[in-house]
Amino acid sequence: MKLERPVTIVNKLGLHARAATKLVELANMHTAEITLVHGDNEAPANSVLALMMLESSQGKTVNIICEGKDAESAMAAVVSLIENKFNEDE
Amino acid sequence: MIISDIISLDRTQCSVECHSKKKIFEIISELAIKQNPSLNQVDVLNSLLCRERMGSTGIGNGIAIPHGRIDGISNVTAIIVTSDHAIDFDAIDNQPVDIFFALLVPKEQAESHLRALAGIAKKLSNKDIVKAIRNAENKNEIVAALA
Repeated sequence: MKLERPVTIVNKLGLHARAATKLVELANMHTAEITLVHGDNEAPANSVLALMMLESSQGKTVNIICEGKDAESAMAAVVSLIENKFNEDE
Repeated sequence: MIISDIISLDRTQCSVECHSKKKIFEIISELAIKQNPSLNQVDVLNSLLCRERMGSTGIGNGIAIPHGRIDGISNVTAIIVTSDHAIDFDAIDNQPVDIFFALLVPKEQAESHLRALAGIAKKLSNKDIVKAIRNAENKNEIVAALA
């Protein structure tokens, strides 16, 4: 199964190191291949370095692609993490 | 961001003898205040430790990017340290760390912080650069690998 959907980064600091690390932890819990696409750049969600290179700041929209057996739950988890500001205060 | 704008030979140290997480943070904060007497070493250390407590900055492959927000600096500043022995750092891949690319970032500058992280990530995702940093025998070779 392959799913794709856009999500807007809402936390103040954007996809910084700690946020990227949380995404990697989440990606490691799923078998689906998770990819973030921002403009012309894309990053596998299991690499902190690749995610930091996206330079996705507050207000930017990234496309989430999940492909694999548990794509549905992976997508739900990623969207929820981003929409909940990576559990940050602002 | 041009990486040479944020790194400096004075804030780079090669193959330090270090066996603990605590000691590496002390070394980083000592280097950080060189060339910048307005910085307080204890403030720098606390800022780095405070961030680290929120989650390890060990991002995998033996690399960590400790960082902290500092009042009173206007530009992103990097401190680079390699250690003789890899140190247990609770990294995301559970591997010990021997390359520390630390950053001091001005407060309230989310965009420049992200830009600096992206610039560093670009360098550290290049396997040849990481190999050159790891094999460097002195700080000149570390800076040359990143330039």
